Amino acid sequence: MKPKIEAASQWCYRGVWGVLTNWFRVPDQPPTLPASAHDEQVRSFKPAVGFLQYLKLQFWVLCVVIDVAIFFGWLVIAINWPWLGVALAIPALFVAVVPDIVAYIAIHLRFDTTWYVVSDRSLRIRRGIWVIHETTITFDNVQNVSISQGPLQRYFGIADVLVETAGGGDVRAQQQAGNAMAAHLGLIQGVDNAQEIRTQLMSRVGESLTTGLGDHDDSDMRAAMTAWTPQHVEVLREIRNLVVAGADR
Amino acid sequence: MTVLPHSDDADFDPLAITRPEPVLLKYYACVALLTGPGFPIAFLPLYFKYVTLEYKFDDAGVSMRWGILFRREVHLTYRRVQDIHLTRNLIQRWMGLATVAIQTASGSSGPEMSIEGIPQAEALRDFLYSKMRGARGLGSDTPPEDSTSTAPTTGDAAAEESLRLLREIRDALQARAGTAVAERPDTGTADNTASVAGAAELTSEVARSGEAPNNDANSPGAPS
Repeated sequence: MKPKIEAASQWCYRGVWGVLTNWFRVPDQPPTLPASAHDEQVRSFKPAVGFLQYLKLQFWVLCVVIDVAIFFGWLVIAINWPWLGVALAIPALFVAVVPDIVAYIAIHLRFDTTWYVVSDRSLRIRRGIWVIHETTITFDNVQNVSISQGPLQRYFGIADVLVETAGGGDVRAQQQAGNAMAAHLGLIQGVDNAQEIRTQLMSRVGESLTTGLGDHDDSDMRAAMTAWTPQHVEVLREIRNLVVAGADR
Repeated sequence: MTVLPHSDDADFDPLAITRPEPVLLKYYACVALLTGPGFPIAFLPLYFKYVTLEYKFDDAGVSMRWGILFRREVHLTYRRVQDIHLTRNLIQRWMGLATVAIQTASGSSGPEMSIEGIPQAEALRDFLYSKMRGARGLGSDTPPEDSTSTAPTTGDAAAEESLRLLREIRDALQARAGTAVAERPDTGTADNTASVAGAAELTSEVARSGEAPNNDANSPGAPS
């Protein structure tokens, strides 16, 4: 019985995906970054499975609360006006169940449409079903990387990595208000290797020699820094000796 | 000039963009229709925005302007772009449109520029990405491992040239010291400078022709 249900749900889910990709033009491939001539590592990954469980737990809690509220509301009506209760039984059941199914599918879709792509130089995040949002940030522009983890997230072994660029706006407030698309922010949500990602991102940020506020490319800086080789210094020293010797005479 | 690997049309040239595509007006009409009875009020400003919207992409930056009564112009340079957001809602996806929002490091949390009505939005986004700071920096010009030991490829010519110039100066000084010692008895300044110039020319020729003109570099030249 169980495998049959699994297969059926898989089939339904693939049907939903087919509708989404064909009718609603949801891309079913992970986002890419423009390839460069040099071999660079491009790593694309998704949130951890714990993130799905975390979302589902939130869903079940909310689901139970709302459905219990609907049930008791219906019970009150049914006791006081039995005829109205009978009439409302079907609509109440509908209101209680259908949004849950939609939300449950939406959680899976949200999980499946969230992609993170990290290359040597930049980060791209895609998220969303109805409004598909893709954020691209180069590591040169990153100001700080922070990790946040709530108790529930800790239980599921996941954390959020926040990649912030320069610029204002009430990013934290927006983010806490649930707007994951806040500007100046790349949100890598629900990953189980947040520390590793943090380390990787920060090492990339550390390789950048600029402050991330529109200064020159670090390639120029590198050239300027290494234009003087030991040979230059040697010749300069000889010149100094010659000039000093000339002055002594 | 730029690499647009996964754009459908390889001949997409962002620098040629001046106006949004006409389909943007349809999109604006749809957006205004969503307000229901507020359609005329919502559509009018959008219509005038579409009519007056102009883009200008050049080598250094991008600017856009729109408005009839209240005009707005936004200018920004590619280098100051902090992050790029590509947003597509359902209607935009159906119409093949997208909003490319560009963020700079200014104080607002909203995007500084929202480019709408470009069908090749992904190509445009990748164009902006390739122009933005840090997209080419770390990996492309110099692999980091050889940056300490040898001169980088970009500054190679300049480094060579400066080294050669330094050697010429050193050799000229050496020659001058040598001639000064030789002509110590007679202190004819005109003679001295002429001979120095000659010696400098000679040594510079040596320096140009010879790969390593400093065979005697280790002996500090000036006899004191």
